[in-house]
Amino acid sequence: MTRLSKPLRTFVFGIALVFCCAMAVSLAAQTPLAKPPDLSGAWGPYGAAARGGDPKLAPVPASPIVVKPEYVKAYEAVRAADAEATRRGEPLASASSACLPSGMPAMMSVAVYPMEVLQSASQVTIVAEAFMQVRRIFLDRPQVPIDEVPPGYFGRSVGHWEGDTLVVDTIGIKPTVQYQRVPHSDQMRITERFRLAAPDVLHDQITITDPVTLEKPITYTLAYRRLPKYEMVEFVCDNNREYADEKGAVQMRVRDK
Amino acid sequence: MIANRRIRSWCLTLLVVSVLACAGVAMAHHSFAMFDTSTTVTLSGTVTEFQWTNPHAYIELDVPEANGVPKQHWSIELGSPSILQQSGWKYKDLKFGDKVTATLNPLRSKQPGGLLVQVKLPDGRVLGNGPGRGPAAPAPAPAK
Repeated sequence: MTRLSKPLRTFVFGIALVFCCAMAVSLAAQTPLAKPPDLSGAWGPYGAAARGGDPKLAPVPASPIVVKPEYVKAYEAVRAADAEATRRGEPLASASSACLPSGMPAMMSVAVYPMEVLQSASQVTIVAEAFMQVRRIFLDRPQVPIDEVPPGYFGRSVGHWEGDTLVVDTIGIKPTVQYQRVPHSDQMRITERFRLAAPDVLHDQITITDPVTLEKPITYTLAYRRLPKYEMVEFVCDNNREYADEKGAVQMRVRDK
Repeated sequence: MIANRRIRSWCLTLLVVSVLACAGVAMAHHSFAMFDTSTTVTLSGTVTEFQWTNPHAYIELDVPEANGVPKQHWSIELGSPSILQQSGWKYKDLKFGDKVTATLNPLRSKQPGGLLVQVKLPDGRVLGNGPGRGPAAPAPAPAK
């Protein structure tokens, strides 16, 4: 058996060492932690609404929304009509003024309302207080083809842990359930990366892709602060006085006694 | 080429509009543009009903004739119970017959309704309309 020269042996050993290190790093990144971080509990918005927040942990605004050229005209018209109606003091009725759920991904950023995370080994459930919206993220099964998911408000979500980060894939959102009025097709996908940015600060980095309507993905990061003592309250819309008038503007019903 | 340039120009416009629009990602139940937030009306009257309901709570208020203005009934919108409880409200803070003074942003439609700014309760406390609206912090209850 031919003995390798010393420089060659050193080289081969070096290559093997680098390979082993790379494998170890890769495995560490892919293997779920023995115990993933516990995201359970109530969370409220972190940032401007929560005074005294650390700017480094604050939410990251959305990347520019660039729709495909064929959708530009219609999208701009919708946005302009909204802006003009609001400027006139006659805001257009919307799904939320009709008390319909915001759906995904808007339900993850509903104003000042808290949300609750319920975490187990096989499922993460998120309950948004506003409109009592519930989404279930399955951790123990794969995603299915988009065509198999009937479009709804929350879609079908599956997730897995990548180290300390919960990565979630959501498909099957109704075309009428929109983020910032952006048109989307049945090919839209929402990817989320949940991670504790600090022990009591949760980040949800959201990326929306749509090969039909979007020129490039929309990405933004929401930030939440832990609310250890908060008790979630019910939100049943049994007294919605807002209605759409003949012009489609939202109006408030007044009473005479 | 011209078409491409036009598309680029559209995209750029859209990009600017979108960045501005995304400044407010958070959503409320509805836009508050139907209320004239540049003006306020102050009313003193008697509560006929306090509705601790979603998506909004309401104060129904009978305002007696004063200074030549005939008696009128007003409907005053508040935030949701979730938002109100975060700023010191409790669901029994108002009841039928309570005398209160309320400041509100009136409806642009001129109907007798509006969005609460703050209200002075019979026990002297002044409550706002959720975080960021009305008094910064609820005044403590007077000693009994």
